[in-house]
Amino acid sequence: MRGRSKPQHVTETYMSDWIAIGALAAVGLLIPVAMMVVSALLRPSVPETGKSTTYESGETPTGTTRIRFNIQYYMVALLFVVFDIETVLLFPWVTIYRPALEAGVPMIDLLWPMLAFVGILAIGLVWAWRTGAVKWTRSPRATRRKTEREVNQ
Amino acid sequence: MADAPAQLFPEFLVDTFGLPGVLGEVVAALIAAFVVGNIVLAFTGVAGPWAKRKITAAFTDRIAVSRVGPFGLLIIPASAVQLLAKELIVPEGVDRPTWDLAPIILPASALLGFAVIPMGQIGPVNLHLADPEVGFALVFAFASIASVSLVMAGYGSNNKYSMLGGLRAVAQNLAYEIPLIVTAMSVVIFAGTLEMSGIVAAQSETLVSIGGFDIPAWYALVNPFAFVLFLAANMAEIGRNPFDIPEAPTEIVAGYQTEYSSSYFVLFYLGEFVHIFLGGAILAVTFLGGPAGPGPESISFLWFVVKVWGFFLFTQWCRSALPRVRIDQLIEIGWKGMLVLSFANLVLTAVIVGVIA
Repeated sequence: MRGRSKPQHVTETYMSDWIAIGALAAVGLLIPVAMMVVSALLRPSVPETGKSTTYESGETPTGTTRIRFNIQYYMVALLFVVFDIETVLLFPWVTIYRPALEAGVPMIDLLWPMLAFVGILAIGLVWAWRTGAVKWTRSPRATRRKTEREVNQ
Repeated sequence: MADAPAQLFPEFLVDTFGLPGVLGEVVAALIAAFVVGNIVLAFTGVAGPWAKRKITAAFTDRIAVSRVGPFGLLIIPASAVQLLAKELIVPEGVDRPTWDLAPIILPASALLGFAVIPMGQIGPVNLHLADPEVGFALVFAFASIASVSLVMAGYGSNNKYSMLGGLRAVAQNLAYEIPLIVTAMSVVIFAGTLEMSGIVAAQSETLVSIGGFDIPAWYALVNPFAFVLFLAANMAEIGRNPFDIPEAPTEIVAGYQTEYSSSYFVLFYLGEFVHIFLGGAILAVTFLGGPAGPGPESISFLWFVVKVWGFFLFTQWCRSALPRVRIDQLIEIGWKGMLVLSFANLVLTAVIVGVIA
């Protein structure tokens, strides 16, 4: 079974795979939209001013939500992009690895390009680890507050 | 198990009813997609209003939903009508198209993942919509669209709790996406193909024979370490305990879905359940032999149901038993623990396969 080519129906069904995926995408959109429509027909509408207030645990909302603040994992997000592209580039390698072995290519010839590739990124990860990029950064304010609390106790 | 792979579901319909040409293919694909979509909806229908309550009640020594119908089963239609008939409250300052689109994207993307999942056979019908050559990569791509929806809901709601939930969803995805996919890759090294049917077929080979009973080479048995790693990353991918920090009911109310009501809330709830079942289906295909099991091939759908529901039960067990990790712990576990382990697993698997093969 392994490394087999597509069964006999390859040419005629190559397209129909994607037709089927498209069909499920259509059904997948249809179901939520249908539920929204049914609900719109069923539900009452009794608008009151209090109801549409933004929920803030029962308090009157203060200020807007869309402010600028430190999301703390900015560096991690940058690192993620690099590693995500790496996984995409590794997919072809893992797919051909075993078929190539069975075709008689020596293991070391197959392994070293992948090890070199992963190795470069591993060095990057070690660097990020050492410089604290994958650590949850504490804002100076939070640290200050915490120390104040500890001092007060 | 050496038979030719069974026909895909749309092809089966084309052949059985003699539907001609491209139009016939489209019609067959739509019918097949509708059936698959409704099977998944039936799973979530049973899981959401009924099984989840029953399971949680059993774990916490209570009685739940027992009044309506036998075993309380009629609570399912009752809840459906009740939830759909609720008033939709649109809070002040929501970002309208974003806020409305988010509850469509979550269930749609999770359902789309089932397009490439081999769900086994009922009689002659093979419940498998499509088997493209890149199926295995595709299913992860579909499954991770969900976090886009969570960010949209978090940003669109104009609520601080929702915003935090959306941002946490991103942090979680950043931390676990790579270990998940790299661990899944170690399975592709064994199977040598990205086709879902190929990965299932590779697992039907015999690992060892004990007393005439063949134990199949399910990758959970071949590489239990990868299985555990994948299971943990999968729980994070679908946002269940101990990694349910985007919702975190005890910290940020309901996270990204705080401001949703009526059908919009139902769609989020439904989408999450579809996502849990998709996670279970991916786990089953990757590590548990897909729909394979004892007995004839024609009942293999039952085995698929057993495996997927087993995973659902596991998520509910974790929900009752495990504490939630903190977000800074999550980043540390993801980047310092699981990422390193998953790459070690990948390299080791490659070396071992190279030495044995």
